[in-house]
Amino acid sequence: MTTYIIRRLIMMIPILFGISIISFAIMYAAPGKPAVMNLDPDISVEDRERQMEKLGLNDPPHIQYLNWMGNVVKGDFGTSFTKKQPVKDMILDRLPNTLILMLFSTILAVIIAIPFGVLSATKQYSKLDYGVTITSFLGLATPNFWLGLMLIMLFSVQLGWTPVGGVSTLGAEFSLLDRLHHLILPAIVLATADMAGLTRYTRSSMLEVINQDYIRTARAKGFRESKVIYKHGLRNGLIPIITIFGLMLPTFIGGSVIVESLFSWPGIGKLFIDATFERDYPVIMAITMFGAILTVLGNLIADILYAVLDPRIEY
Amino acid sequence: MLKNKSYFTMLSLLLMVSLFLVACGGNNAAPQTETNENTADQPTGEPQFGGNLILGTSGEPVIFNELYSTDTASGDITDLVFVGLTGTNENLEVIPVVAKDLAEISEDGLEWTFHMHEGVLFHDGVEVTAEDVAFTYSIFKHEDYTGPRAGSFTALEKVEAIDTYTVKFTLNEADARFGTLTGYGILPKHLLEHVPVADLEEYREFNIDKPIGAGPFKFVSWTTGQNLVLEANEEYFEGRPYLDNVTFRFASDSNALVLLLETGDIHHMIVPTTELATVEYYDHVNLHSTLALRYDYIGWNLARPLFEDKKVRQALTHAIDRQEIAETIMEGNATVAHAPVSPLSWAYNDNVAKFDYDPEKAKQLLAEAGWEPGSDGILQKDGERFSFTILSNSGNVVRRDIGIIAQQYLAQVGIEVKAEQMEWGAFLDKINAPNFDFDAVVMAWGLALDPDPSAIWHSKEIENGLNRSAYRNDRVDEIADLNTKIIDQTERAALLAEAWEILAEEQPYTYLFYPQQFVALSKQVQGFTHHPRIDMYKVNEWWLNQ
Repeated sequence: MTTYIIRRLIMMIPILFGISIISFAIMYAAPGKPAVMNLDPDISVEDRERQMEKLGLNDPPHIQYLNWMGNVVKGDFGTSFTKKQPVKDMILDRLPNTLILMLFSTILAVIIAIPFGVLSATKQYSKLDYGVTITSFLGLATPNFWLGLMLIMLFSVQLGWTPVGGVSTLGAEFSLLDRLHHLILPAIVLATADMAGLTRYTRSSMLEVINQDYIRTARAKGFRESKVIYKHGLRNGLIPIITIFGLMLPTFIGGSVIVESLFSWPGIGKLFIDATFERDYPVIMAITMFGAILTVLGNLIADILYAVLDPRIEY
Repeated sequence: MLKNKSYFTMLSLLLMVSLFLVACGGNNAAPQTETNENTADQPTGEPQFGGNLILGTSGEPVIFNELYSTDTASGDITDLVFVGLTGTNENLEVIPVVAKDLAEISEDGLEWTFHMHEGVLFHDGVEVTAEDVAFTYSIFKHEDYTGPRAGSFTALEKVEAIDTYTVKFTLNEADARFGTLTGYGILPKHLLEHVPVADLEEYREFNIDKPIGAGPFKFVSWTTGQNLVLEANEEYFEGRPYLDNVTFRFASDSNALVLLLETGDIHHMIVPTTELATVEYYDHVNLHSTLALRYDYIGWNLARPLFEDKKVRQALTHAIDRQEIAETIMEGNATVAHAPVSPLSWAYNDNVAKFDYDPEKAKQLLAEAGWEPGSDGILQKDGERFSFTILSNSGNVVRRDIGIIAQQYLAQVGIEVKAEQMEWGAFLDKINAPNFDFDAVVMAWGLALDPDPSAIWHSKEIENGLNRSAYRNDRVDEIADLNTKIIDQTERAALLAEAWEILAEEQPYTYLFYPQQFVALSKQVQGFTHHPRIDMYKVNEWWLNQ
């Protein structure tokens, strides 16, 4: 197992290297140059040219890439073109916000989705099953931004129960309650899509387990139905679900872009989308690489978890 | 089981209720009255001290040092934290601030001397002197200066402190623009002189973490993505501001800001035209408007054979009803423009050629230029069809609509137009140097305080500069070169008037309109003055009716 993990970790290096080259090439080929200078008639052509030179934007692309890579190896992700701050600081500033939001919405999704998935499987073809199925498809089909807007209109604007956006009340001391208050709407919106998918996974995974021989055996032994389902069935049924979490890791960035923009939530997703519009290469590259690392790690974690949970899997 | 069932029912119920309530929302807002006139201009009662003013903004600032900042979000904050020798009032005239009076200018226009107020203090208690001013402006001239403004100060030879409160700028040639360049925030020499100029731009401790100026508000804190807090400077030389605190609250976009305004979370926002209809209905908000220092236009690419001929360009303008655009797309919040200069400028000249809506005249001009209707009804000349694309940036609804309206108007005179939109970065890349890959663009220029036309109209700006229409006219070049050397404003205005006449006659752009700009302000806020160029002007005179 240890050798397996080490081998996988070593394999990550060429993979990440390849991803970095491809991302850099795509970014460079995309239309639009870093909007280092806005179109300010006050700023002379010479000054604009000097800024480009200073940022190394006049170098050929392969030199730019090598410079970038050289710094990254030294742990330096460079300075944002537009915000003039170290990219590392910008990401570290925003990361906690994204993590809190993700954690909260994942928990929310799990505590709702798994019980409903299990119930749906055990009462297959019942009214409840149909209800859960329809709701989860609705959840999958509802665009995040639409749901978010609706919830803001209802709870923030009409009822005034929740804040319109932001992570905490302006000028207030830190308080957990205040945080939760701000967290609740974005977390619900973010959780809906996850929730729907997770319910479906749980349902099908449980259905498969319920039809296994050992469940029939347990029933035959005269165990109570709840014990059969929750003790014998659930444990096995959840194995594939847990591995899904590993694969959900990279969606931390992608999934949050819309929700973070909608709720003015200063996280990585918002940072990424702003950087993309501004062609802020160092920020784009750093977040892309961060996402790539999460994806590769997430896959690894999923594999390890699978091996740990299912003794039949060997490496 | 039962518990879960009821939970599910509740969830679905909630969803249904939310749909219903949201659907009602629109109707609830309708019956409110139109109260949003400029009532806040007459303050109700006496100014009060205290309170925290919350300004909503979607742009995150970058750097609190005017020598290096280029974005408006940073400018909004430095305007409050720093003061300069001069400033501008709401009529866009240069006025003295830390200087007691406007500059004493020598006969030859080369020496500009300012006498400064005594007792103006930086936020750390040290007095602002001529040394600080000399220090600040000498940075622009330093060979290691890394900011974007070196080009503005090419005329500056040296700057020196004559005595504690007198500073003298020496120019190497007369530069009429120089007055507008004396408003940069004065930096504290005692805090920055030990920093090499080459490192100054990256000097976080001052530029970002703790900027110290002599302005009406002191910097307190900045939490990225969330808010930025300023507090009143008790020692401000024009008197303590009424407000205790000013907080900038950052939100994603104007939609988010409008929601924050509706719930009363912010007191102030700049309202884009697209949000006006919504904001007009809020009865706790006053809407202020004033002419913006800018004009919107359709720019023609003169390097393309289609637009070479002046008559064709004049015809295009004749064919488009700009009055209609101002009334429908801009909902009446714009005035038709005829030349590339704002009516707010002292150099404005109304006496220029005007090409009003006249499709018959357009057809006639096109015929004179050799364009004849082809078999498909589209004009043709030498086998070439008159067909082109109008480009604008996506996300901008107003420009999209202008493209579409232009398409319809031009179709009526036999010209085929496609209206397209592109993402901003890609759009700029396409239309700017070195690509210049466009037929026509819908754009706008925010104008500088000084009306010098060089940056946009001089032929030397074609290759790399902002003259992307590739406009070339010897007389305009001559005027552009000459105008900045004339210190006398009346004389200079007369010369510039000729440039506007030429540019109006030649129609390298179809000048569309001068738009109004809007600010929404909570009715609690009093003492507001709307400045065409400064988003938060004289905030030290604002107060909250609590």
